Amino acid sequence: MTTFEAVRLVTMREIRERGRSKAFVGSGIFTILLLAAVIGLPAILGGGAKSFEVGTVGPADTSLLALAETMATESGDPDQPVTFSVTSFEDRAAAEAGLNAGDVEIVVLDDTTLLREGSGGFGGSEIERILQRAAATVALEETLVGSSATVADVASVFGSQPLTVESMKGADAELDDARSIIAYGGLMLMYLAVLSFGAWTLTGIAEEKASRVVEVLLATLRPWQLLAGKILGIGLLGLGQFIITVVIALVLIRVTGAVELPAIPLDSAVTLVVWFILGYSLFSVAFGTAGALVSRMEDAQTAAFPISIVAIAGFFASFAVLNDPSGAAGTFLTFIPFTAPFVVPIRVAFQEIAWWEYLAAVAVAILTIGALVRFAGRVYAGGLLHYGGRLGLRQAYRSAEIS
Amino acid sequence: MLEIDDLHKSYGDVTALDGCSFTVQPGRMVGFLGPNGAGKTTTMRAIFGLLRLDRGEVRWNGSVVTHGMQTRFGYMPEQRGLYPKMKIEEQLIYFARLNGLSKTAAAEAADRWLTDLGLEDRMGDALETLSHGNQQRVQLAAALVHEPELLILDEPFSGLDPMGAETMANVLRARAAAGAAVVFSSHQLDLVEDLCEDVAIIHKGRIVLDGNVHDLKTGSNRRVLELDLTEPQSEIVSGLRLGLSTLASMDVATSSRCKRGQTCAPCWERSSTQRSSNTSYSPRLRWRTYSGRQWHDDI
Repeated sequence: MTTFEAVRLVTMREIRERGRSKAFVGSGIFTILLLAAVIGLPAILGGGAKSFEVGTVGPADTSLLALAETMATESGDPDQPVTFSVTSFEDRAAAEAGLNAGDVEIVVLDDTTLLREGSGGFGGSEIERILQRAAATVALEETLVGSSATVADVASVFGSQPLTVESMKGADAELDDARSIIAYGGLMLMYLAVLSFGAWTLTGIAEEKASRVVEVLLATLRPWQLLAGKILGIGLLGLGQFIITVVIALVLIRVTGAVELPAIPLDSAVTLVVWFILGYSLFSVAFGTAGALVSRMEDAQTAAFPISIVAIAGFFASFAVLNDPSGAAGTFLTFIPFTAPFVVPIRVAFQEIAWWEYLAAVAVAILTIGALVRFAGRVYAGGLLHYGGRLGLRQAYRSAEIS
Repeated sequence: MLEIDDLHKSYGDVTALDGCSFTVQPGRMVGFLGPNGAGKTTTMRAIFGLLRLDRGEVRWNGSVVTHGMQTRFGYMPEQRGLYPKMKIEEQLIYFARLNGLSKTAAAEAADRWLTDLGLEDRMGDALETLSHGNQQRVQLAAALVHEPELLILDEPFSGLDPMGAETMANVLRARAAAGAAVVFSSHQLDLVEDLCEDVAIIHKGRIVLDGNVHDLKTGSNRRVLELDLTEPQSEIVSGLRLGLSTLASMDVATSSRCKRGQTCAPCWERSSTQRSSNTSYSPRLRWRTYSGRQWHDDI
C-alpha cells in the first residue's frame, strides 16, 4: 500500500465517521441556528416600527419636543413608521408611577431634568440621546437669537459631516470600511477555527489511544501517516463546515437585508484561506502531539492547555494590531508562527503589510509546520504505545521507537 | 517461515529481550509461553516494527521484515481495542483496506468473517453496543479479515468464556490448516498443550525451550502416574504391585515444583509428567500440567 493510499484511507475514515457523529452534526446545526438568530432576529424584531414614549411634568417646551420628534422620526428606517407620543403628568410622583408602569420611557422634568427608571443600558438609551441633542440645539438657537439661524438650520449643521474623508490607499472609503469588518471578522473566524478544529484533532487522537485501537493501526500504518490523515480529514471537514456556514450566513444576510454587506477584496479573501490552512495545520499538529501524550480522554484538555493558552494569547495580542496594524507589535507578531495566522490577515485587510513581510511570515509558518510535524511524529510515536499516566513531552520524544 | 533471530531490546536498565530466537513454520501453530514480563509482548511488537531493536532481526520467508510487509500479517495485540462508535462491518472493511485489499474484496471479506463468527445480524451496529464476547470476535475478525500468512495473537484466550475460547481455538486451527503460520502467547500451559504442535518458552527475554510439544514431552525423563482410586480399585492396583512406586513418583513430582526464583522452563519440563486422575468408577489416564494459576503460584 502506498503512503498516499494509507493517508487517504485514514482521511476518508475521519471524514465519514466524524462527519456523521452527533457532536459534529449537532455543533453544525447549533452554529447555523445561532447565525440565523443573530442575523434574522434584529430584522424581525428591531426592524419593525419604533416608538418613543416621553412624559413631561410642568410647563413643557414645545419647541424641544417638536425637535425631538423630528429627530426621532429621522433616526429610524425610512420605510418604517416611527411613533412619538408625549404624555403630560401632574407631578413627579405621577410621572414616577408612569415610568414604573412602563407607560413612558423617560420624563422631562421642568425642561431641566431627564428622569428615567434605571440604567440606560449600554451606551445610554436612544430617546435620552435624542432629547439631549434636541435640548442642546434649542439652547444654541436661543443664544443665536437675533441672527437669521433657525432651529432647523442648527439641527442640520449638527447632523451633517462637513469634512470629506479620503484615504491615501484606495480612494474608496466604503471599501476601507469593508476592510475593517473583514479584519475583525477574519480574526474571530480564525480564532474559532483554530480552537474548535484543533480540539477535534486532540480528542480524535486521544480517543484512538484510549480505545487502544492504535496498536492495531500501527501494525500497518506509520505514526506520521496516521497523524497526517487525521489532521487532513478533520481539516477538510472543518473547512466544509466553515464554507457551509459562510454560505448560509450570506444567504440569510441577502434575504433579510440585515447588514449592508461589503464586497470582500480579493487579497483578503485569498489571505484568509491561506492562513486558515496554515494556522489550522500549525495548531492541529500541536494539539495532536498533546493528544498522543495522554491515555485517558479526561487528561486531554489538561495536556492541551499550553497550546490553548498560546492561541488565546495570540488572539488578544491581535487586538493591539487591529488598532495599529503598521505598529511595532504588528510587525513583530507577523514573524511569530503562532500569532501570524491571526495578525497577518488583519494587516492584509488594512493593507499595512509589505510583500516581503507577508512572504517571510508564510515561510516561517511553513518551516515551523515542517519542523513541528517531524517533532510531533516522533512524540506521537513515543507516546502512542505508552499507557498509564500522562507522558512528558521530553520523555515521549526520547522513547520514540518508530517513526 | 518466520524467523526471530537474536532479538535484543533494553529499556534503560531493564532488559526486555536478551537474544530471543525461534522460528515458525507455515501451517503450524506455535504456543509462545512465559510468565508476565518475560518478553512476549515485546517480541510480538518487534515483529510489527513497533519498537526499535537494539540488535537482531525478524525475517519472513528469508527477507528482513520491513514496513509494508506487515500487510501480510495479522495482529491481535494484548491491549484490545477497536473504534467503539464505528459500525463493525465498516470497521472490518477499514482494516482490510489498510492491509491492501480492494474495496470490493474488503467488503466481501468483512461480510464473510462476520457471518462465520455468527454476527451477520449485527453488521450495522456500533462496536460498543455488542456484548464483551462479541466484541472479542470482532477483534479477532479484524486480525484475520485480510487472510494473513502470519497471524500473531497476544494472549488471545485471556478473558474469554469457554464458548469464546472454543471459537477462538477453532478459528486458529482453521487458519493453520489453511497454511498460515500462527503464533499466540499465553501463560496457560494446558491450553497450549491442547492446541499447539510447537511451543516456544521465553524467560527473561530468552527462549529457554522450544520445539515440538510431543517431542518435548516424550523427551522428558520423568513420568508420574497419579491414580485416584476407590478402595476396591486400590486393592486391585495393590495386587498388581504397582502402587508404591507410582505413589512415590507422584510425591517426587509434587515436591519438585519450582521454588521462587527458579527458572520456569525446567519447571514445566519436570512437571510435564504423565498423570492419571479418575472419577470414582472409571480411572483414566490423561496429560496434566500446571494450570495458569499454579504457574503464578510457583514462580
